[in-house]
Amino acid sequence: MRIVLAEDQFLLRDGLARLLEAHGFEITAAVDSAPGLLRALLDRQPDVAIVDVRLPPTFTDDGLRVAIEARREVPGLPVLVLSQYVEQLYARELLADQRGGVGYLLKDRVFNDDQFVDAVRTVAAGGTVMDAEVVSKLLGRRARDEPLARLSAREREVLALMAEGRSNSAIAQRLFVTEKAVSKHSTSIFTKLDLAPSDDDNRRVLAVLAYLNG
Amino acid sequence: MRARDQRERHRELGWCLALAIVLALAAVSVYPVFAEAGQQWWLPVIVLAVGLLVAVKRRRAGAILPSALILLGFCWLPLARYYAFGPAYRYGWWGPVPVPGQLVLAEAYAFLLLGGWLAWRQLWRHPAAARLVLGRTAGRSEAGQPWGLLLLPAVIAVASLATSDYSGFWAPLTVLLLAGSMLVIRRSPDLAARMAVAGLILLGLAGLAVAIGAQRALRFGDPSGYPLLGAVIVSSEVMVGLAIGEAVGLLGLGCWLLPRAFPEIRSLASAAELTRRVQRLTESREVAVDTAAAELRRLERDLHDGAQARLVAVGMSLRAAERLIPTSPDAALALVAEARETSARALTELRELVRGVHPPVLADRGLADAIRALALDCPLTIETDIDVPGRLPAPVETACYFAVAELLTNVAKHSGSAVARVSAEHAGGLLRIAVTDFGLGGADPVRGTGLAGVERRLAAFDGVVAVNSPVGGPTIVAIELPAVLSPCA
Repeated sequence: MRIVLAEDQFLLRDGLARLLEAHGFEITAAVDSAPGLLRALLDRQPDVAIVDVRLPPTFTDDGLRVAIEARREVPGLPVLVLSQYVEQLYARELLADQRGGVGYLLKDRVFNDDQFVDAVRTVAAGGTVMDAEVVSKLLGRRARDEPLARLSAREREVLALMAEGRSNSAIAQRLFVTEKAVSKHSTSIFTKLDLAPSDDDNRRVLAVLAYLNG
Repeated sequence: MRARDQRERHRELGWCLALAIVLALAAVSVYPVFAEAGQQWWLPVIVLAVGLLVAVKRRRAGAILPSALILLGFCWLPLARYYAFGPAYRYGWWGPVPVPGQLVLAEAYAFLLLGGWLAWRQLWRHPAAARLVLGRTAGRSEAGQPWGLLLLPAVIAVASLATSDYSGFWAPLTVLLLAGSMLVIRRSPDLAARMAVAGLILLGLAGLAVAIGAQRALRFGDPSGYPLLGAVIVSSEVMVGLAIGEAVGLLGLGCWLLPRAFPEIRSLASAAELTRRVQRLTESREVAVDTAAAELRRLERDLHDGAQARLVAVGMSLRAAERLIPTSPDAALALVAEARETSARALTELRELVRGVHPPVLADRGLADAIRALALDCPLTIETDIDVPGRLPAPVETACYFAVAELLTNVAKHSGSAVARVSAEHAGGLLRIAVTDFGLGGADPVRGTGLAGVERRLAAFDGVVAVNSPVGGPTIVAIELPAVLSPCA
């Protein structure tokens, strides 16, 4: 799997590249600025791009802007955005095109390399991965809303993990239950929230996030 | 270009027409006075002719005003004599107020002086015309000017001596006054302007006194009809009315010019305002300094108790793991995992800390998106309507951001409302932000510390906070502060 990596701090860029290569990814380009990133994305058309939000030249949200611009040029180009902070505003902008193939994670998540590599694979496959912090804020904001209030505590947990972009098996593993139980919870959640049920993981994530963002 | 030429020509035409009308009126009303007073008629005609000549030479209307003023001055001179010595005014017209012709005389001088000065300026700017009127004196170097200035008073002096029995005391005084004034104008235009303004006000006041005296005299019986202005018979009431009107006009003009001639008056008026402002600035600066110091102390404490302590723990765990690796690798592994978790917690704390110092979206995108992000992070449903197309100065952005954050926290804590609205707009150099909720109302800026804090925070930027919160809601908190908007990078 070919990856374009954009990170301006040398140590992190190097560390990420080594971590990814150790998991069998191929780094086709590692860049340190926004213009370089745009060129690499459009020229190399990687399977997935891993992008730091804050990049030169302005050191604000250049990486995010380039990611969104590149996805406008190449619809559905898989991008996993990393940042020291996660902002709901930026999550919304990334999700706005409703295409999937998007991830938005705190840099800390790299500490857990298995989960991180899973996330990279999910995004590359066109899935959607949201940081737990974004999801918990989304849930917190809608907590008082009538349909969400009807969910049981366990259902809420499942909903949060679904919104983060995890598959049924990953959720089952995480909650120490069977996959069948997760699937039952998920059906119940979709009924309570009045969402069209979907077996497709990716469409399920997008539906849940759209609901929470709405 | 052509349109402008045409406009210019129209304007000149208008000036000439206006002049013709004014002159016709003046001639009709003044001629009988001259006739009766035995005044020579040629002097004003010469003045007028010279003025018109200059106007034509310069192809401008600029010379018309001075010649009209000088003409008016000459018309006033015989009137003054009438007041002073004329048989009709020897008894009682002014009643107990002893006003001989001095007042009118003063007016005549004023007109002559002003007209002469303007004419001089016009001539001086146009050497050809100046030479035509004044011979070789004009058009010379600057050094020649003071002597040239004396020319006009001299002409007037000779003219007034030659044309009347109006001599003795007033003629030399007139000349002296004119010459002195011209020199003052030349040497110190500022002083001249001040004197002129003061003169206008004095004239207006004196005129008012005279007119009121005249009115009283009228009321208590007047001896005769007053054929003022010669053949044009006007009633005394009309004359008094005219006098009052003129006096009020002079007074008004003087008062209007007063702050222009005396800038200290304006500064006196603004001194009180300045004192208040200095006081406000001192207070807001103290608050700003205190707040900054408190923020730094909080930062230091948070770092010390949080991230720093956690990093120490990480170091200790790693050291312990190092020792344990040879003997019990499993225990070492557990310690390393613990170190990793601790470092993640340290990162989380640092993130929160930075968010409290300078929120990332604010740094990235500016106030508009930062408020939108704030609205998204808020547990309430916040509607935003923000029209701030550009970036504000960084300190203003930060202050406004934290003000809005504080206000939204207040809404969440106290209002009981689940919905709020933030609107912001920048117009006319002012940034206006309003936070509205539909909760309980009854917010009191005096009682709560939150609103007072917002006010203090914004005071450093000359911002003001207005609270409208009737019991039962809705509550509107409006912020307004001056801020320059720069276009987005």
